Amino acid sequence: MSSRRVLTLAQRVMRQVLRDRRTVGLLIIGPMLVLSLGAVLFRSEPAVIPLGVVNEDQGLTVPIVGSIELGQRIVDELTAGDAFNVVFLDHHDVDARLRDGTVQGVIVFPEDFSSKFQENRQVVIDLHIEGSNPTRSMTIIARVTETSMKSLAELVGTSFAIPGSPQTSEGEAALPVVVQTTYLYAGEEFDTMDFVAPVYIAILALFFVFLLACVSFLRERSLGTMERLLATPATRIEIVLGYMLGLGLFALIQVAVILFYTVWVLEIHYLGSLGLLFLVIALLAVVGVNLGILASAFARNEFQVVQFIPLLIIPQILLGGTFWAVSEMPKYLQPFAYLMPIYYANQALRDVMLKGWGLVEIWPNMVILAGIAGVLIVAGALMMRREVA
Amino acid sequence: MDTVVEIRELHKHFGVIRAVDGINLSVKPGEIYGLLGPNGSGKTTLIRLLIGLLEPTSGSVTLLAQAMPDKAVLAQTGYMTQASALYEDLTVRENITFFAEMCGRIDRAWIDEVLELVELKDRSRSLVRTLSGGLKQRTSLACSLAHKPRLLLLDEPTVGIDPQLRATFWSYFRQLASSGVTLIVSSHVMDEAERCDRLGFMRLGKLLAEGSASELRDQANARTLEEAFLRFAVGNMEGGEG
Ligand SMILES: Nc1ncnc2c1ncn2[C@@H]1O[C@H](COP(=O)(O)OP(=O)(O)OP(=O)(O)O)[C@@H](O)[C@H]1O
Ligand SMILES: [Mg+2]
Repeated sequence: MSSRRVLTLAQRVMRQVLRDRRTVGLLIIGPMLVLSLGAVLFRSEPAVIPLGVVNEDQGLTVPIVGSIELGQRIVDELTAGDAFNVVFLDHHDVDARLRDGTVQGVIVFPEDFSSKFQENRQVVIDLHIEGSNPTRSMTIIARVTETSMKSLAELVGTSFAIPGSPQTSEGEAALPVVVQTTYLYAGEEFDTMDFVAPVYIAILALFFVFLLACVSFLRERSLGTMERLLATPATRIEIVLGYMLGLGLFALIQVAVILFYTVWVLEIHYLGSLGLLFLVIALLAVVGVNLGILASAFARNEFQVVQFIPLLIIPQILLGGTFWAVSEMPKYLQPFAYLMPIYYANQALRDVMLKGWGLVEIWPNMVILAGIAGVLIVAGALMMRREVA
Repeated sequence: MDTVVEIRELHKHFGVIRAVDGINLSVKPGEIYGLLGPNGSGKTTLIRLLIGLLEPTSGSVTLLAQAMPDKAVLAQTGYMTQASALYEDLTVRENITFFAEMCGRIDRAWIDEVLELVELKDRSRSLVRTLSGGLKQRTSLACSLAHKPRLLLLDEPTVGIDPQLRATFWSYFRQLASSGVTLIVSSHVMDEAERCDRLGFMRLGKLLAEGSASELRDQANARTLEEAFLRFAVGNMEGGEG
C-alpha cells in the first residue's frame, strides 16, 4: 500500500469536487436552507384558532355555598387566553360553521354541564372539530384541555373545590377533565395514519417520478442521443410530451400500486371516490415527470440530480402544507406554499379522503395542478439543452 | 435543384474561439464532399450549424432549398454524430427503427438491407451496451441511414472501424452518391480524402482551399494531400500575418 497513491487520489478527488462549484455551494448552503426552514416552521408561533362556543349551561346552585356557572368559567378562561378567538354560536350552526371554516372547533356546554360535573366529579367537554387536519386537531384538543384544567384549578380552595375530588385520594395527577371529540368529516375509526396518508401519497407520487424523469432525461444528453434526436424532425415539445407519456405509464402504475397498498393492505380509511383519488395522484405524477425534465436541464450529472432533493423536494414537503397548515406558517413563507405543486395535491387529496368531497368541490385544485403541468411542459421544452456542459 | 447545401459567410464564435470563421460552401446533388482538418478545426461545429443544432453567430445555411433552421428538412437528412450516440438499453435493431420512425419513415426491408451493409445482421438483437466500440460505430451509421435520407452528414464515420469494413463503407458511400444522395463526410485521415469528389481543407474555422484531391495537389504543387494541406496551412499563416 502506497500512502503516496492514496494522497494523490485524495487530491484529485478534492480538485474535482472543488471544480464543481454548485456541489460545493450546495454542501454548505443545502443543510442551512433545510435547517432554517425546519427551525422557522417548528418555532413559528401557533396561530390564534377561531373557536366556536355554544354555552347553554344553566349553572349549579348549591344551598349555603352559592351558585356557580362552570361553563361560563371555562369560556372566560378561553377568552382571556390568546390561543383562541372565541365566537359564540347557536347549536344549530355548529356543523355549518365548521364546514365553511369560519371556526375550526366548537365546544358545546349543555344545560346540565355544571350539574353533571357535580354528579360525575369530572368535567366532560363536548368538542367538535372539522377533523381534516390532524396537527390542527391535536393542537385544538391540547389547548382546550389545558384551558379547562386551568379554570378548574382556580376552584381549588373555594367551597366548590371538587366535591370528593380524586386529588385527595390519588393526588394531583388525576385529571378531572375529559375531552370528548367529535369529528365533522373523518370519523372515530380514523387514526393518525389515516390523516397523514393523503400527504404521504402525494410525496411519494411526486418524488420517484421526479427522480426517474430527471435522470433519464439527463442521460439522453450525456450519451449524446439528444443531439441525434434534435437532428430529426422531432420538436422539443414532442420530445417532452413523448417522455411524459412514456414515463407517465410507469407513474400511473406506481399510483395504482400506492393506492392499492394504502387502501387494501394498510387499510387506510378514506371517504371519497377512489377514481377521483387516482386522478389527483396521476395529475401530481405528471407534474413530477415534467418537473424532472425541467430540472434536468440544470444538471450536468447524476450527482447534481440528487442535489435537487434538498433544493426542490424537501422545501415542497415542508412548505406545501404537508405537515404544517399553510395558514399557520409565518406570513412571509405563505406565498411560497402557493408555488408548490404538492400544496394543491395535498388539498385535493385531503378533501377527498378525509372530507369525502367530490369533483364538484375539488376541481379548482385539479385545474391548478393541470396548469402547473402545462407550464412545466412548455418550460421544459424551452430549457431543453443538447449538450451536457 | 443545383445545390443541396449552400453556406454563406457562416460564423460561429464561442467567446473568443472562432470555431467557424466565415465559411462559404456549396455542394451539388450526388456529390461526396470531404471536410478535412485537424482536431479543433471546426468540422463538427460546421456540421451542427448545417442541421440547425447550433445557431450561427452570423451567416446563412440553405439545405435542400430550405433556409435553416427548418425541422421538416431534417426528415431528409441523416446525421451520424462523432461519438456513437445510441440507446444502450435497446438492441441494435430497436435503435435503428427508433431513429427511422422519428424521421417518419419505417421500411423493414430497407432496415434489413442497412443491417446487412454494416454487417450487423447477426447482432441485430444484441443490446448496444454489449457491443464493442467498432460495432457501436457501425450501428450509429446504420441509424443515420435508416430513413433513406437525401443528404448524409457523417462526422468522422470511419474512426475505430477496421480497414476492411472501412473500404466497404467507402464503396457504399460511392454507391449512395451515384443513386443521387449527397454526402458530407468529415475526416482527418488523408487517404480517405482521395475518395471524395471534392475536398475542403479546414483550419481554425476557415476553409483554406477547395477542390478535388488532384486539383489541390496540383494547386499546392505537392505530391501527397498531406503535403498539400501543410503548404496551404503555411500559406494561410503567412497571408494572415501579412
Ligand atoms: N460548446 C462549445 N463551447 C466552447 N467551445 C467550443 C464548443 N464547441 C466547440 N468549441 C470549440 O470550437 C473549436 C472547433 O471544435 P469542433 O468540435 O468543431 O472541432 P473538430 O474539427 O470537430 O475537431 P475534432 O477533429 O477533434 O472532432 C474547438 O476549439 C472547440 O474547443
Ligand atoms: Mg469533431
